[in-house]
Amino acid sequence: MSAPPTPPDPTSDAAMTRRSFLRGTAAFGGLTALAASLAPLRELSDFSSTEQFLQKYYKEMTPSDMAKVIARIEREVQHQYGVRPHVRDLKPMDGVEFVYCLNLTRCIGCRKCVHACVAENNQSRNPEIQYIRVLKMPHGSMDVEKGDHNYKDAQVPDKGFFYMPVQCQQCKNPPCVKVCPVNATWQEKDGITVIDYDWCIGCRYCEAACPYFARRFNFTKPEIPKDRLNPEMAYLGNRPRKMGVMEKCHFCIQRTRAGKYPACLEVCPVGARKFGNILDPESEVSHILREKRVFIQLKEEMGTSPRFYYYFDK
Amino acid sequence: MDPRPTRPGNSKSSRTNLWLGGLTVGFLGLAGLFLAGTRSPRPARADIPPVDKKFLETTPWRQTYADLVKAKEDLSDYDCYGCHEKNKPPPIRFDDKGKIIIPKEHANIVMGHGSHDRNDLCYNCHNEQNLETLQVRDGRQVKFDNIPLLCGSCHGPTLRDWDAGAHGRTSGFWDRKLGEAQRLSCANCHNPHSPRIPPREPAPGPHTLHETTPPAQPGH
Repeated sequence: MSAPPTPPDPTSDAAMTRRSFLRGTAAFGGLTALAASLAPLRELSDFSSTEQFLQKYYKEMTPSDMAKVIARIEREVQHQYGVRPHVRDLKPMDGVEFVYCLNLTRCIGCRKCVHACVAENNQSRNPEIQYIRVLKMPHGSMDVEKGDHNYKDAQVPDKGFFYMPVQCQQCKNPPCVKVCPVNATWQEKDGITVIDYDWCIGCRYCEAACPYFARRFNFTKPEIPKDRLNPEMAYLGNRPRKMGVMEKCHFCIQRTRAGKYPACLEVCPVGARKFGNILDPESEVSHILREKRVFIQLKEEMGTSPRFYYYFDK
Repeated sequence: MDPRPTRPGNSKSSRTNLWLGGLTVGFLGLAGLFLAGTRSPRPARADIPPVDKKFLETTPWRQTYADLVKAKEDLSDYDCYGCHEKNKPPPIRFDDKGKIIIPKEHANIVMGHGSHDRNDLCYNCHNEQNLETLQVRDGRQVKFDNIPLLCGSCHGPTLRDWDAGAHGRTSGFWDRKLGEAQRLSCANCHNPHSPRIPPREPAPGPHTLHETTPPAQPGH
């Protein structure tokens, strides 16, 4: 009994016709193109995950949600930088409202605060993001438009000039918070205006609204050398940012909410920077606001009411 | 070979095939472009050298007598009676212009205290009776590790500010319940013989994303 010769199975390889070959090729090509067009997403995958995408709004997170988020951040930072960070979610303290005072008589314009801030807060080194701009201003004027932040003098201070560092003024009436369409930035009860980098959509409205040029945008993926990463981090503070989000000075939340002075203050070689709790009548800042010639809140006429005060000794 | 009957409209199906083939080639080309795009180097950016670590230093410029004692460093500079004789105050000499002559044993001292450097009498601060102490003009003796009392005898408002924390450098904890704050003393920042803070080199300024020449100095 011999089997009759079966007709070739149309689904088998042998039955490959020109039509099915072309169809297959077209489907393959289409899929390849789709995969390739999604390739730019691979860059994102370094620093965002489904977990982050599904993360809740900061104010709605329970402590256990936050613990998960912190574990994710620590994992991601370790993966990217090879350093195990210590991330905390520090809450504002009761009975504390932060105020910064800067002595314009003392400041010599050495820009050490700028770089101490960058080192403390894990800003991108290239492209460079700095929270503090030191303006070199001619004596006899308070017009910031006469200020120059690109001064390249070999020695400071220069005769006939004074220096005015400008950073986030932590306004009581912050225009940046009002314009944020997604509430990714808000003012906490200790006076610090914070940003949730996982909630920010990068529209840059806040940058446009800020009269002090205090906010910075990550146009590219931030670059931080592994050996310069500060592993002591806070969720609303100096944890590494990603491309497409805003950032700004947050009075070194990871330090100040743990009771320490900000980094820019500790590095200042002339003691021009003073920081503390304005609700404590014994604090340095209370003394300064009571006793010294505090002349401005910068751009007072904007009605932003900064918590950053400039004062003079004489 | 093909068991299926040839359908009418063969020319139509071959046109479809032509389209599909064309699309395939097109998509593959696009895929190639995309892949090449992800591999290409990112747009050139100006190289920004990492900032010199000396600009991140928080240590004070100077060490006071108290620091030297604490660090168990060489205190021979303060051993006055290694060279001087007790109960015989060394004389102070001036040149023709009334400028103090610094003896060569103290050549490291540059005098520049007060307006026009006129606070140049050693015994305004040093105690001629006992060179190992300092003196306030009202006669109180002050040890080398307690100079705010001496400096404040002339610079009253500054001492008042320093006491309140408004003058001078502080580090550590603003919240004294959580930790201690470190205060620096006068001589940590000021050289008592020439207290004005000398000019210094500034840290590098900002670099923009697309490095250009800095704008011209604003007119003033």
